Amino acid sequence: MNFDRLFKEAKARGIEDIQIYLANDNEFEIEVLKGELEKYTIASTQKLSVKGIYDSKMGNVETEIINDDMIDFIVDSIIASAKTVDSEDEVFIYKGDKEYKEVEGLFNPELDEVDAKIKIDNMLDLEKRVMGKDKRIRMVQAFYGDGSVNVLIQNSKGLKLEKLVNNGMMGVYVIASDGKDQRTAFEYTQSNNYSDFDLESIATKGAEKAVALLGAEPCDSGEYEILLSNEASASLLAPYLSMFSAEMVQRNLSLLKGKVGEVVGDSKITIVDDPFMKKSTRSGAFDDEGVATSYKELIKDGVLTGYLHNLKTAKKDNTKSTGNGFLRGIRPTNFYIKPGDLNYDEAVKVMEKGLIITDLAGTHAGANPISGDFSLQASGFLVEDGKIVRPVALITVAGNYLTMLQNVSGVCDDLKFNFRYIGSPALKIKSLVVSGK
Amino acid sequence: MLDKKLIKKVLDAALTTNADFAEVFIEDKFATGASMLSSKIEKVANTKEFGIGIRIARGYHTVYGYTNSPKEDELVKLATDLAQSFSGESRNIEFELEEMKVGNIHNIKILPSEVSIDEKVDLLKRADKAAREYDKEISQVAVRYQDYVQKIWVANSEGTYVHDMRVRTRLGISAVGANEETKQTGFNGPGGLYGFEFYSEIINVEDEARESARVAITMLHAEECPSGKMPVVIDNGFGGVIFHEACGHSLEATSVAKDASVFSGKKGEMIASKLVTAIDDGTIPNAWGSAAYDDEGNLQKRRILIKDGVLNSYMIDKLNAKRMNDECTNSGRRESYRYAPTSRMTNTYIDNGESTFEEIIAATKYGLYAKKMGGGSVNPPTGDFNFSVSEGYMIRDGKIAEPVRGATLVGTGSEALLKVDMVANNLLTAQGMCGSSSGSIPTDVGQPTIRVSEITVGGRKGSN
Repeated sequence: MNFDRLFKEAKARGIEDIQIYLANDNEFEIEVLKGELEKYTIASTQKLSVKGIYDSKMGNVETEIINDDMIDFIVDSIIASAKTVDSEDEVFIYKGDKEYKEVEGLFNPELDEVDAKIKIDNMLDLEKRVMGKDKRIRMVQAFYGDGSVNVLIQNSKGLKLEKLVNNGMMGVYVIASDGKDQRTAFEYTQSNNYSDFDLESIATKGAEKAVALLGAEPCDSGEYEILLSNEASASLLAPYLSMFSAEMVQRNLSLLKGKVGEVVGDSKITIVDDPFMKKSTRSGAFDDEGVATSYKELIKDGVLTGYLHNLKTAKKDNTKSTGNGFLRGIRPTNFYIKPGDLNYDEAVKVMEKGLIITDLAGTHAGANPISGDFSLQASGFLVEDGKIVRPVALITVAGNYLTMLQNVSGVCDDLKFNFRYIGSPALKIKSLVVSGK
Repeated sequence: MLDKKLIKKVLDAALTTNADFAEVFIEDKFATGASMLSSKIEKVANTKEFGIGIRIARGYHTVYGYTNSPKEDELVKLATDLAQSFSGESRNIEFELEEMKVGNIHNIKILPSEVSIDEKVDLLKRADKAAREYDKEISQVAVRYQDYVQKIWVANSEGTYVHDMRVRTRLGISAVGANEETKQTGFNGPGGLYGFEFYSEIINVEDEARESARVAITMLHAEECPSGKMPVVIDNGFGGVIFHEACGHSLEATSVAKDASVFSGKKGEMIASKLVTAIDDGTIPNAWGSAAYDDEGNLQKRRILIKDGVLNSYMIDKLNAKRMNDECTNSGRRESYRYAPTSRMTNTYIDNGESTFEEIIAATKYGLYAKKMGGGSVNPPTGDFNFSVSEGYMIRDGKIAEPVRGATLVGTGSEALLKVDMVANNLLTAQGMCGSSSGSIPTDVGQPTIRVSEITVGGRKGSN
């Protein structure tokens, strides 16, 4: 599509300013099951999102058909949509920042050069390795996927930004069975450097995780000291990201409203949004509005320092956008709880009676981002006198996220990110309510 | 749309190696969305999606590719590239594409394209007003409107060539109740395979909005739910999410075929209480999860999954049918051309029983009455499920007592189904979005009021 023509046409029809966001995606995905290639997907797609200011309101449109014949449709849709909006918030098309940081390690051309045949052979090998780890392993699905995204942002104020990112993910889904009980586990690694994928390490961890939970049963109901594993803590943080969005604060839907400068967590808690992390698809020098991104500690030593902003919320609060304006609203980039210095094994050793929670399920339903309350299905291990006694499953742990942050008694050193780039180390928590037997 | 000759050419290119099946899925979708918050229209947007998915299989090994490009050379190249995954000589499969046409039982009266954006936005304003006027403690209301027309074409090397048009619309209302102590939410999201007539003939927008406000206010004044094992009465409508999660997913060929479901190899066995008959029906006129065809070009149908407690049928797509050596139940669904289809639910519900709602409550000395359910999830190989209760009450001495909040139910699907000891006669369905390996698709859940004799309830208040 000729964007200059689109911009000209838009101007002629009364659209004051206009911006396009064009994403070209390439994807490759394979899955191996029972010694055979089970799934093989290749794709190349593109999507154009356009926004424009008409009569001081923002109009939006998206299309996957991208050619000059669509120009009229795009202009019509923007005008119709802008005419309907009655929000009085001031809207912006950004002229750009003076400087954008050079972010390294976002694209690694070598990833695409690794032959598909090698990737498939590696997955066949990975499945075999997991199966060989323990005779109780019943089924293994080995998966690998990679892709690249090329983003172009261009607007009528002369801004033009481009970024190219790629990434791969390799992992296993494991089912273990001892004849009576059946348990599952996921284990994966993400990187854009193929040599970072360590088959043996993925196989060992995946197999260990699945087998360790065999025979798990509910523990007694009651209040327990909790060691929340890095993975469980990251999955619990995910539904609460919206608390940090200035949009949610301004709409009176965030528990963090009015708390900047106040203590909201234990002094051991620091929460970071880092757009400059290497090998992450969430990283970049600019957000989807074209604003330069920045490293921020939103909670520093337990004290709330600020919120995530886009251009609109920043204007309302008379501050600067933090570079978190994305197509679907305000989002973090790479968001994590900063690791501490507690060793995980040590944390178990000093536990008198408590629970290690390694997995939380149903966070999309059982964790309420507005009230902060959660009650979630959990599994893990019962600990007595510093030793793991037995695996535990089909229990619920319940609490309130902000109360929990204040009750953190230890932060481990084992930061791990999930596939949405939300990360956490394991956290020791004074107490949560557990429902079991 | 794409010319039949071109589709045939792509299918032929896909079969130049040893594959035994090829399929082309074309999707052309136009969606309109609008959202309102703080009584202001925040965003209105049109979205045009278009793409083509090509699937090639040998036995049940498949490869899949997709693109937005309708250009002949690019499509033939994609098909040829995919075909390279299969070695060997072409089987020279000969077929002609013959279009199958059926009378559509899902009558659409007013296409969304015939309705002005102002009329659509007016629904948001009405819903917002009704929810706010429900109670002065309603502090925030968010309303979303969505409609789309999804046109699909499926053609395959067995000669299938069908076209389907799915017109769907949904209104989602979230209300927040707030006092000094806490904030609580209520959600209601009615939708269907309807055009704009849905809002004049099927639902009353104000009633639906007040319902979300009612839940928020009730929960604002509720106590924390106690925890422990107890009898749970799950109400009709969205309560059917228990069956969807606890059992439905484990009956999909996606997990059954891989022998990764607790219900693998159990056809003909008693897997539920004899009071339970469960059905997945993609033919219910204008229901949210209905369509004329599934996404593999087969006619939608009604499947009796469980009959009087006995496992009668799984939900099976074309390729898993081969793997399982069982009949395809026309259950192949996908979110869009970006996903290869797999077996999925449509409108899934537990059928009516013989008790009444009043009898069930009266017969329960102590327990939880889960009037409204939130979402949940299940792990098919273990059957372990969880779901949240968005509106709950304690039952004491056969009467509904104080409201309670923050409850989550956990259990194992196979056990919970066997423990259903009462089923009422008030079947009702409700709308949801179901996520799985072929994306997020509209599904109805449903049931009459049922009682499960014992289930683990997790709340923030300790056990009584």
